[in-house]
Amino acid sequence: MKKQLFRFASMFAGLAIVVAACGGAGTSPSASQPAESVTPSEAAFPTANVALTLWTKEGEADGSLQFVQKLATDYNALHSNVTIEVVNKDVEALREDFQTASLAGEAPELLWTVADHIGPFTAADLILPLTDLIDRSKFVPAAADIVTVDGTLWGAPVSFGNQLMLYWNKDLAGADAPADSDAWVAKAKELTTGDQFGIVFNQTESFWLVPFLGGFGGRVFADDGVTPTLNTDAMKSALQFLYDLKYTDKVAPSEADYNVADGLFKDGKAPYIINGDWTLGAYADTFGDKLGVGPLPAMTGGEDPKPYIAGAFLMVSKAAADDADTKAVVTDFLWFATSTDNQVAMVTALKRLPGDADAIADPVVTGDDLLAGAAEAAQKGIPQPTNLEMRCVFDSMTAGVRDLFTGNSDVAGIANTMQSSAETCITQLG
Amino acid sequence: MSGSAAVPSIPVAKTAGKAARIASSRGETPGKRFAIHAILIFAAIIAIFPVIRVFGVALRPGNRLLDSEFALIPPGATFESFRHVLTETDLPLWLFNSMVLTTGASIVGLLIAATSAYAFSRFKFPGRGVGLTLLLATQLIPAAMLLVPLYILAVQLKLANSYVGMVIALSVTSVPFSIWILKGYYDTVPIELEEAARIDGCSQLEAFWRILLPLSTPALVIVFLFNFLAAWNDYFLARILLTKQELLTWPLGLQRFQAQFQTQWNDLAASSILISIPVVALFLYSSKWLVSGVTAGGVKG
Amino acid sequence: MNLNAVTTAIGQVATTLVVIAIIVAVLEGALYLLLVRILKTRLAVPIMLVAPAVVGLTVLILYPLLWELNVSLTNMSLRNFKDPGLLGLSNGMFVGISNYVEVFRDPVLKLTGFWQLLGQTLIWTASNVTLHVLGGMALALLLHRQMRGKGIYRALIVLPWAIPQVIALLVWRTEYNNQYGAVNQLLNMIGIPNIPWLSDPLWNFVAMIITNVWLGIPFMMVIILGGLQSISGEFYEAAEMDGATSRQTFRHITLPLLRPVLTPAIILGTVWTFNNINVPFFINQNELETSDILVTALFRQAFQYNRYGDAAAFAFIIFALLLVFTVYYIRRTGGLKGAYE
Repeated sequence: MKKQLFRFASMFAGLAIVVAACGGAGTSPSASQPAESVTPSEAAFPTANVALTLWTKEGEADGSLQFVQKLATDYNALHSNVTIEVVNKDVEALREDFQTASLAGEAPELLWTVADHIGPFTAADLILPLTDLIDRSKFVPAAADIVTVDGTLWGAPVSFGNQLMLYWNKDLAGADAPADSDAWVAKAKELTTGDQFGIVFNQTESFWLVPFLGGFGGRVFADDGVTPTLNTDAMKSALQFLYDLKYTDKVAPSEADYNVADGLFKDGKAPYIINGDWTLGAYADTFGDKLGVGPLPAMTGGEDPKPYIAGAFLMVSKAAADDADTKAVVTDFLWFATSTDNQVAMVTALKRLPGDADAIADPVVTGDDLLAGAAEAAQKGIPQPTNLEMRCVFDSMTAGVRDLFTGNSDVAGIANTMQSSAETCITQLG
Repeated sequence: MSGSAAVPSIPVAKTAGKAARIASSRGETPGKRFAIHAILIFAAIIAIFPVIRVFGVALRPGNRLLDSEFALIPPGATFESFRHVLTETDLPLWLFNSMVLTTGASIVGLLIAATSAYAFSRFKFPGRGVGLTLLLATQLIPAAMLLVPLYILAVQLKLANSYVGMVIALSVTSVPFSIWILKGYYDTVPIELEEAARIDGCSQLEAFWRILLPLSTPALVIVFLFNFLAAWNDYFLARILLTKQELLTWPLGLQRFQAQFQTQWNDLAASSILISIPVVALFLYSSKWLVSGVTAGGVKG
Repeated sequence: MNLNAVTTAIGQVATTLVVIAIIVAVLEGALYLLLVRILKTRLAVPIMLVAPAVVGLTVLILYPLLWELNVSLTNMSLRNFKDPGLLGLSNGMFVGISNYVEVFRDPVLKLTGFWQLLGQTLIWTASNVTLHVLGGMALALLLHRQMRGKGIYRALIVLPWAIPQVIALLVWRTEYNNQYGAVNQLLNMIGIPNIPWLSDPLWNFVAMIITNVWLGIPFMMVIILGGLQSISGEFYEAAEMDGATSRQTFRHITLPLLRPVLTPAIILGTVWTFNNINVPFFINQNELETSDILVTALFRQAFQYNRYGDAAAFAFIIFALLLVFTVYYIRRTGGLKGAYE
């Protein structure tokens, strides 16, 4: 209990840093009227009818589509001359269809999607920079950083997070988080018995490799941000660590994709799972106060694991630039959707960390045990790269991870293949 | 298939019309009948096993796809998901839309194919062989290839968000298959029957309508079923053409049960069961036509 | 679901039917004037019969094909993302046939090249179609008799055709899990140790085939059953009188008379299996390149990396290959002689 209280306190500390950082940007958070001309200007609000389309990746599973629809309805109630049609699309479908629709000249004005899409959309020159439309300093820096490329802001952060965390079942693993990776693995070995496995996680995606790569001091790109650096000692150490979990310490099941890992944890057959912040609500429902949450344990003798953080962002398509009225309304909607009130409402409805700096300092976040834990974990993450090359890197690493988890112990060979495969892929992008 | 001589050496009666006698149970020992039932039961079990598992996911509480216990009926089974998708989501609307759209497209497709196949079966005209090959060629195109240009076409023709584009596209895409199957069946119906009807004063098209079509019922039913299923399950065209809430079909609607990282497996499974019901009902209902098509055709000259 | 939504859908479809009726009427009217009144040709009837299909297919297939052909000669990609116009001549995107050459020269996927993918595709197609036809034929022959429970058997066996494919595939994929999937658990019951269906290249390929056979047999069975119904009983009576064995009857009556129905079904089945994206995509959960076939490779290239020019060229090569194969098959077996007569 005491330790938990300590954790609690440290979360507050983490949050304080975020908030302080935002306050430090020269804008008083409460008066979101910066000196620049970047403000929502009610005076010039168009009176003509404006019909907008917003494509969102959000689904009904977690109530997020309903939230987006409510925002659109609320906005219509404020401005009766504006209608916003909300269209749900699967993440990949949204990207493909937006590209094609832009080519055909029928693109939606607004997108509510993941940061990764900035790479393809800027490469194809399909979205508008937001630097002149909205005030970057109103957002949590960690969130704005994800969608800032070379000083240009491409998305308005609605929520951020997505970081991988450690969840544990207190009935099996006890109340406390393991101190470091050695302690964690030792405990997991102890808890691997019969049909129970110590540590479960998705063994089929490189997203689960990335935190450990960071934990050993590695990054996927060199400082230029585009040259892959996958054949490194840090990568080999990270691969070795994962290999050992499964084949040396034998604490991981023989085949586990996302659903297997998730099912085992929910069935009470795994004390620890590595999973994203998006399952927080579902696990809290299943386990109640038997659920432990925290950052991944630090690598013994190394650093903290560094999961990627990403989120949901509003982006503006070039289709909105053609017409002055449309652009004015779209800009106003950006401010509306990321206003502190609406962001607090989002936290309440969806249990996600808000992009707005004032909202993240609100008691709705700081007073919530689990959200505050997620906020702490998010602080240890690094922004997920959004460029086109990242897709090649992810896919190449994923192939390597799958190879590793079918029992290939040659980590040097895997790292080498990852690197060459990523390089080939990047040259072919054209 | 073996390339053996096509025509049986046995005396051939040239008229159909008499009941296609079912390979009968003559001389079947109880042992053989038992074996037949055993094989069919085995096949049926394999066929329905995954379906039962989908049902299991729908009944499983706590939204999980995997069940580490291997129980056909999961512990704590609940019909909650069925209630939820039927009363608290737009699934009924999506199903209704799909049903209306699919029925319309299947009928249009069937009409176009039935008449075209008649031309291919009963007339000799230049370009007939080439035409059949081209029809086949349309089936060879990898579907993924057509998506981007179809999107652009739909925008240029202003067909987005209406069922006009959907019905045309869905009915036309299944036409090549339908023509091939229908032509194959028409060819098995002796042309003498139509000739006899024409002697009796029918026009050529009347003979087609009153003789050939009724005799081809099983083929028409198969083609209708095929068109229906293709349209019923269509996702890619709908994704391009439909975005308005009130027009969504079920494949688009179900997408909403999936968030980026999470899926409502039990809702998805419950919906799949409900989605299959109309199709299964259609299969069951149409099976009597599948059987009786030829036998019922008591066409006497 | 409110009344408004109901009328929307019905209204939309009703409008569509009217629109289509008008289009067809105008088309047929024009053809009538042209062919019957002006040209006075004897071919008027067949041309008017096939006209709606021809027009529809031309618009729906020809335009996209020409568009793709154009793109395949350009370097269109995300970094060169604009409508290339005619051959990309006006904006320097024209690259000639280099996209076509690259398909054979560079690895199509990360490591795997064109020829290996072709080999995998051929094995995949041949084994599936063979099993579909054999399985469908066997079940159809068993069901084509008077027996108790016939309707129930038929209904149950066609179920895989009725359930939404993607859902069925997701379930199959879960059932292949090494430890918790039903497939291995059932095998364990009869004493067979766990098989790594998802991670081992060979077994994964087998798993794909099993799944696709499960999906494909009902279609073949229904087609063949329909074909069996169309064979007049008199043939069998005559055979019986001649004292033919059931094997002889099958070989000399059933099979030849099924041919008009079976041949198109086999050809279409081949094409669909060749072009099947869903099964290899979902069952190959680990994205093993040994389980990819040509069209899944195309899909990855076109949509994951948006190499539009390359993908268009690749698609045409697949298309050409299939066309050559099909024409060769038809010529070689004479399988469609009947169809062309």
